[in-house]
Amino acid sequence: MKRSGINAALLITPAFLLFSVFVVIPVVQAAYYSLYEWNGIGPLQAFRGFGNFIQIIQHTIFHTALLNNIKIVIASLLLQLPLAFIIALLIGRKRYRGEMFFRGVFFFPYIIAEIVVGIIWRFIYYPEFGIPTLVMQFITGQKNQIGLLGDPNVAFYAVLVVILWKYMGFHLMLFIAGLQGVPAELEDAAVVDGANSLQTIWHIIIPSMKTTFIISIFQSVIGSFNVFDVVWAMGQGGPVNSTETIVTYLYNFGFRRFNFGYGSAVAVILFFICLVFNVLYQRYVVGDESNGIRS
Amino acid sequence: MAFAHNSSSLYSLKSALSSYIRILVVVLLSIITLFPIYAVLVNSFKPNGEIFATPFALPAAPTLAAYVGILTKNADFWIFLTNSILVALGTIGINLLVSFMAALALSRLQFKGRTILYNYFIMGMLFPLSVAILPLYLQLRSLNLIGSLNGVVLSQVAFTIPMSVFILTGFFKEVPLELQEATQVDGGGIWTFGFKVLLPISGPVLSTVTILTFIQSWNQFLLPLLVLDNRKTFTIPLGVMQYQGQFTSGWNFIMAFITISMIPMVLFYLFLQKYIVSGLTAGAVKG
Repeated sequence: MKRSGINAALLITPAFLLFSVFVVIPVVQAAYYSLYEWNGIGPLQAFRGFGNFIQIIQHTIFHTALLNNIKIVIASLLLQLPLAFIIALLIGRKRYRGEMFFRGVFFFPYIIAEIVVGIIWRFIYYPEFGIPTLVMQFITGQKNQIGLLGDPNVAFYAVLVVILWKYMGFHLMLFIAGLQGVPAELEDAAVVDGANSLQTIWHIIIPSMKTTFIISIFQSVIGSFNVFDVVWAMGQGGPVNSTETIVTYLYNFGFRRFNFGYGSAVAVILFFICLVFNVLYQRYVVGDESNGIRS
Repeated sequence: MAFAHNSSSLYSLKSALSSYIRILVVVLLSIITLFPIYAVLVNSFKPNGEIFATPFALPAAPTLAAYVGILTKNADFWIFLTNSILVALGTIGINLLVSFMAALALSRLQFKGRTILYNYFIMGMLFPLSVAILPLYLQLRSLNLIGSLNGVVLSQVAFTIPMSVFILTGFFKEVPLELQEATQVDGGGIWTFGFKVLLPISGPVLSTVTILTFIQSWNQFLLPLLVLDNRKTFTIPLGVMQYQGQFTSGWNFIMAFITISMIPMVLFYLFLQKYIVSGLTAGAVKG
């Protein structure tokens, strides 16, 4: 027993140290720094209490960032996941021929670097020759440059399309794996009982894939709050901060301006948003019997 | 037979029709999905002027000029590529070693605090890791790791440990206890069991962890953006971003650069795709 204790310590220490030093301690430090005004150099002196938090909560650009993150969550849940599920039904059931090929096609955007994805779509949206300009030209017959990414009213939605395009394949993969875990006998039994396709999907397939949905929704929400690269590549949060997300806000108003206390407070707020989501999700959605995320 | 009026042939006609519609829908969606990639490829083989005239047509006279320019005119691309490879190899190597060891203990040894330690690691999967990024920068600075690839590697390892420990522990728990007891009878301890017995049968699960770590490392942008301040240390994502800032009008060069940067990922995917699926769904399958 004692030997195994020593061995366990030896085996776990490297991972424990790396994870603690580069993730856990920084997060704890962020909570401490968030109470100060600090440029990152010199001693921590200017104690502000909750001053940073009050300033953030009153900052209209932070409101935009938070709202944008919420829009990403909503779009993921209402558009991306249903689309991924439908495509999974179209290619992933009963091991259709060509399944592996189409899987690769739809997964492709997911394996490309976010930053590269952003640059590619800047090309697609390019005002001089991009798709929006060509489509409008086709409809109206006149060539007017359409610059979606330059217009603060629509730029975020143009970015949102890219986010949905990029991550749909990830959820598709989850759903395909989930589908293949649905017991074939159950489906057959439903067909024998005269159920049509929609009834089979609704009464047999969806309930059998509960764990997959739980994981997919979880990844969607946490991932949505982590969005940075795509937004950065497409306009660094601009124009006029209209595409800002919490993480770009943290970078632009914390790191870039050497406001480490302020940026840390943003990180603490993000942490709490995720914590509240985790607690509510564990309690009301994951429940007791199924714990796909934790174990 | 073919035109017999019975319900089964009607049914098969209906199902043939629905299968055509199904394929049509899937192909249409595939075209929409791949269109941006198509745009990258065709334009990487065009002179810049042609891109502005016919941005989405096939190249009139395909040219490798942009590729030749990137690969030979200056050393930038090769520097970025070398850095990305070094970071990926370092991240994958260290991550596999430390996560393997931790998962071995967490799945195969009885000791006090095991569940707490396991949850400590897994906690990392419940939050976006950008919450740590700002103080992480300060931490790296105090350890003199700013501007160094080592700083990127160690941070990336820390970021991937939760997922790796989760996947590996899950896999090791399924390995029959008799194997471990047999090793003990022969006088071997946990280390012998881990490296002589478990390691050789862990190929698939280690491949899964490798590919997931590779995707994260190869594509990571925010962390290198904070840590690396000198273009000699830039990785490919930083390089691409800087490159497109430099050549605002040279879309053909940007597209060629992007194409080359995607090749390693595509190769990895083609060779290891079944492990990607099992990795992404490790959580889902366990349920």
